[in-house]
Amino acid sequence: MIGSFEPIFNHRVRALIRKEFAQIRRDRRLAVSLILPPTLQLLLLGFALSATVSNIKLGAVDDSRTPQSRELVATLSESKSFHLLAYYASVNQLGDAISRNQVDAGVVIPYDFARDLERGRTTTVQFLLNAMNANTAAISQGYAEGVIQAYNAGLRTAGLQPVFQQIGSQELGRQGQAQLHPAYLYNPGLKDSWFIVTGVFGLLLILNSSLVAAGAMVKEREAGTIEQLLMSPATTSEIILAKTAPLFVLLFLMSIIAVAVMKLAFGVPFHGHLSLVLSGAALCILSGISIGTVNATFAKSAQQAQLMAFFINPPLNSTAGALNPVEAMPAWLQPLTIINPIHHFAVIARASMLKGSGFADLWPNFLGLFAITLVLGSLSVWRFRKQLS
Amino acid sequence: MRRIFAQTRKELTQIVRDWRTLALALLLPMILLLLMSTAISLTASHLPIVVQDLDDSPASRDFINSFRASITFHVVAWPPDKQPEEALTSNAARAALIIPEHFGRDLARGAISSLQLLVDGSDANTAKLMSGYAAQVTRAFNQRKAVSSQSGPVQAAIRLWYNPGRSSKKFFGPGIFVLGLSMFPPLLASLAMAKEGEQKTILQVYVSSISAHEFLLGKIFAFMIVALAECLLMLILLFTYFGLGMPGDPTPFVVATVLYAFCVASFGTMVGAAIPSQVAAIQAVSFGGFLLVFLLSGLIFPIDNIPAGIRWISNFIWGRYYIEIVRDALLEGGGWPATGFKVAVLSLFGPIFYLIAWRKMRRMQLEV
Repeated sequence: MIGSFEPIFNHRVRALIRKEFAQIRRDRRLAVSLILPPTLQLLLLGFALSATVSNIKLGAVDDSRTPQSRELVATLSESKSFHLLAYYASVNQLGDAISRNQVDAGVVIPYDFARDLERGRTTTVQFLLNAMNANTAAISQGYAEGVIQAYNAGLRTAGLQPVFQQIGSQELGRQGQAQLHPAYLYNPGLKDSWFIVTGVFGLLLILNSSLVAAGAMVKEREAGTIEQLLMSPATTSEIILAKTAPLFVLLFLMSIIAVAVMKLAFGVPFHGHLSLVLSGAALCILSGISIGTVNATFAKSAQQAQLMAFFINPPLNSTAGALNPVEAMPAWLQPLTIINPIHHFAVIARASMLKGSGFADLWPNFLGLFAITLVLGSLSVWRFRKQLS
Repeated sequence: MRRIFAQTRKELTQIVRDWRTLALALLLPMILLLLMSTAISLTASHLPIVVQDLDDSPASRDFINSFRASITFHVVAWPPDKQPEEALTSNAARAALIIPEHFGRDLARGAISSLQLLVDGSDANTAKLMSGYAAQVTRAFNQRKAVSSQSGPVQAAIRLWYNPGRSSKKFFGPGIFVLGLSMFPPLLASLAMAKEGEQKTILQVYVSSISAHEFLLGKIFAFMIVALAECLLMLILLFTYFGLGMPGDPTPFVVATVLYAFCVASFGTMVGAAIPSQVAAIQAVSFGGFLLVFLLSGLIFPIDNIPAGIRWISNFIWGRYYIEIVRDALLEGGGWPATGFKVAVLSLFGPIFYLIAWRKMRRMQLEV
């Protein structure tokens, strides 16, 4: 096995790698800072980030003041989705409460609510939703309609108004209905954290590997020791290879810890092959390292490299579909995910861990990661060589 | 006073001379605002769905057409000989609709026909949105088919306030605006301050006649000007591209913006004074300015969703108050009664950061 790698890992590279490892052993801070903060961030983000909408604060204006209207309010607040905060005397007061963010949603029951129900007429209840947060609004809209449907169904079975029941059952007898039964595959409990941690994992891999690689490459130049390396018989690509190999080992260790955290702290299931996730992580680290080395060839100091990282990382993070669905991005941005390593890794991690997809389904993403690494890696070798000659 | 302005002028000259810093200061916030606020939305549309039609009748095709007509779903072709679950594992679709045999016959007979919707739950939020939308499409289909339009005794009329189009851009725009202000001015301020420590130019400050207060205030004013310039540029974007406006009284927003500029500039200066190393200072600011504001201030995910064990932390995140003030000013227009308290809380953070920075400075001055 080692024999076949002889042309790449020859004695020069092995000596250089030994030197890098010795440096890292002396500087324990790097090893600690590579392993501890990402694990903490994964824990913090996984627990803190959740798009779940529950306990929407509800305000009610009950102009009807009848058992029927109170029943409706009770049905709303009984569900986990809404939490009744207060009754208001008028719609204006409710509006003020919504604009002050005291309540997120309001329900207005008209004065003729009970009378209409008893006469078998359709009555309309108004919902006011604060739609500033589009996601919360869309989900609470669904909740509100669901609760009203349940209330209607309850009215029918309880036979609260015989007049209506007759019409209802007649209609039901005449007209068929399509009934939809949704089944949530792969995540029946709909745990948000599974989506978040698999996305954050890729985010952390790219962030850390690019920053550390840029730092390591620039450090040699800042300290002025790069000339000594160049005078050695090792070639440019051998120097880059030797510089990045120990970083790769450390980052890979970090990804194994991250996988353990996901399994133990968040209970993420592993339906697919673990080797698939880990090889995806390895490719992801390599592409992150090559982002870092390209960055380093443009920067003259550690400070400049860090500033450049501010130009690269936030756009990469926000257009990866790691924390939000790709379909929610504008149409012109969606094709760009193809050059985003975080996106490819998030797809690999989610599909193989949660859904049990195999390599047959995921090879395009592996190919994407591989291509990104290859292009950026050769770019950095080329830039490096040009600068030194 | 004259010395404060001289210090401010020196800082601004330094920023303008370095193109990287200038671009970081002025361009990057605008790029981020454009990119993140459009990319970060959680409400997806055109979600790919495959349909397995075992009935293949006019009724089932009619039902599929009602899914085709919705913006949320995008029906993609799937070979009938393959299992619909495979479309989910291969990421070809996010949901699969299975129409049973005899669907059309059951509907014509007046029976209830059950359809199955398999939803990819690996993205829990999108899964919930999809099943909600699919239920709405089905309800509309049933109502269309029904002889009378009457569907139930109680009907819900839902009004969406402040953002009737449910545009995520309008919600996230103000949030990213605050994120930009919380990240870049303190980053530059901490770099400038740490640089003085790293290059030992701070010793010249100690031996000059400038006092710690004058030195710090001069620096902070310079970065307040940077922050207000960024704020102005981003506001122009918000008013034009995002189509936002000021529905109410703008004075609380103006007061809060000046207070926040002071707060973030002092935060950066404090970090720079406490950590005289540029690389470490960048990390501290990206934690305080970016990660905490991004995660714990209700920028994307509501604060109520954060587990109670760590939710209290968000009370100490300065960005949280400013985000609420900005959202109120740009979307709701509640004015002083809605935001007065938050402006008062916000005014406390700046002086605290300033005092810590001043104590650090004074101590260093004695040490040297």
